[in-house]
Amino acid sequence: MILLPAQKSHSLAPLSRQLRLDILDMINTAGGGHIGGSFSSIDILISLYNSGVFNFDKDHFILSAGHLCPALYAVLAYQGKIPREELLTYAQFGSRLQGHASLDTPGVEYASGSLGQGLSFSAGLALGDKNRHIVCLTTDGEHNEGQVWEAIAFANKYHQGNLINIVDCNGYQLGGSTRDIMPLDELASKYLHFGWTVTTVDGHNFYDLEKALKKAKSSTIYPACIIAKTVMGRGVSFMENKFEYHDVKKLPEDIYLAAKNELQKY
Amino acid sequence: MNSKNIENKSIRLAFAETLFELAVKNPHLFVVNMGMRPSLYLDKFALRFKSRFIECGVAESNAAAVAAGLAATGKTVFLTTFACFSPSLNWAVIKQSICYNQKNIKIVGFHAGLMSGDLGATHQMLEDVALMRALPTMEVFAPLDAVEMVKMLPIIAHSSRPAYLRLPRISTPTIFPSKLSFTIGKSQILSAGKDVTILGYGPVLTQLFAPDFKKYSLEIINCSSLKPLDSETILKSIKKTGRCLVIEDHQKNGGLGDAVANLILSSGQKCKFLHLGVNDSFGQSALNYFDLYHHYGLSPLNIIQSLKSLLSKK
Repeated sequence: MILLPAQKSHSLAPLSRQLRLDILDMINTAGGGHIGGSFSSIDILISLYNSGVFNFDKDHFILSAGHLCPALYAVLAYQGKIPREELLTYAQFGSRLQGHASLDTPGVEYASGSLGQGLSFSAGLALGDKNRHIVCLTTDGEHNEGQVWEAIAFANKYHQGNLINIVDCNGYQLGGSTRDIMPLDELASKYLHFGWTVTTVDGHNFYDLEKALKKAKSSTIYPACIIAKTVMGRGVSFMENKFEYHDVKKLPEDIYLAAKNELQKY
Repeated sequence: MNSKNIENKSIRLAFAETLFELAVKNPHLFVVNMGMRPSLYLDKFALRFKSRFIECGVAESNAAAVAAGLAATGKTVFLTTFACFSPSLNWAVIKQSICYNQKNIKIVGFHAGLMSGDLGATHQMLEDVALMRALPTMEVFAPLDAVEMVKMLPIIAHSSRPAYLRLPRISTPTIFPSKLSFTIGKSQILSAGKDVTILGYGPVLTQLFAPDFKKYSLEIINCSSLKPLDSETILKSIKKTGRCLVIEDHQKNGGLGDAVANLILSSGQKCKFLHLGVNDSFGQSALNYFDLYHHYGLSPLNIIQSLKSLLSKK
């Protein structure tokens, strides 16, 4: 599909810019972090926490891909769950903001880092708390893990209409493109064959995301998958679609400033 | 103890019956199962408590994290299959989704140890205690027999901490005195003696109650609470006897023997020490587990040799 630029007229667009800058500073101060996926998933998280479709004081949000935590921390700070200045402690000794999502952080419901487990955990929650929705965020690369497919089959067996899996499909993982490493062709069709409902959206378009979330929430019998087509490193042109930016070390000063400059205009 | 009156009973059947009774009383008790229901005697549970018996099929990683998610909603969750599949195929899931996420799951590993006999090396789980002992917050238990199983299960079900429960396959002698109770972190002195302290867990220890051992003054201690381990009782006994024999149906690496050796050395006490266990090798099939115990050095004959060695050295 053709990716459209995030619609600037949407009220969440300025937040998207601000939180990208927060992520850049968080990772730059720490001297490293998973920047590519944080930029690809941030709009999904913004939509989840700000569209009003779900209320995560009651519903559950499970980040399965724990390395995307800089994006989640930025959103939680905006939500007031953690002080914004605490973001700069990310990954440092003694910080509540660990290098992968942990229960030390207020607002984090599931500690993750080892991929492929969060959807199973979400399915367990969906069994035990049938009156609430469980939204899980996984990635395309994460679907290398066999456990994800075990969970997909399980959710179908138990007719988990209150379970939603959003897949951040940015096309890249640590070692290269998902196409080269382990192709996922026809991911939507695979979910359909496993008995899920599937919606494919532009993961940077807040209108589309909100619509998809509402549709997924309305499902009563079938677990719902939202395939969010995203751009890895979205917002910084030289990071986009470069798997080398999956996880960065300390950015050289000129690179940091160039990225900041671009994000300020995002 | 009169060996003539010793009755053989199945620990896993005692587990299933006790779990059923607990589920009658506790409507929040769930089983997350991994495809081995008939072998675990859980048919009755599954039939009576259909909505509380979650069948994941032979998908152990998913099951462990499903159990964790379920526990997050306030349920008491038992995760059940053969020990050779869980806690082993799903160890990293147990580490992250259960232990690191502070979820209270009771992992029950059936058919553990060489007593699974004919099934061979792939099914003789000999590393489970090592795998589970290593995990932060995980407690590890192995009942001596069916009597202790019945006493132990309600206490473990009630505990707020994650636990691993190790069960053997076959019916084994019931030795556990009815007047004794089970307490987490406590071991029981099954017979008092002055010459050698014998430490072990599970049915392998029941061999010590054969008439051949009557001539020795043995202090036999049941370490069914493997973690937390009752260091006080163990060290007190070793101070008295000065000799220690650890016996376990498990790899020597990472098992009770390692834990006890560390305990003794760290305490500064002096003691003669021998450790019987599977020595860095795989199991194999046998129709009778006695043949395996003899081959791997866990039989009464091997134990007597060790006792002689401990008693002869000065």
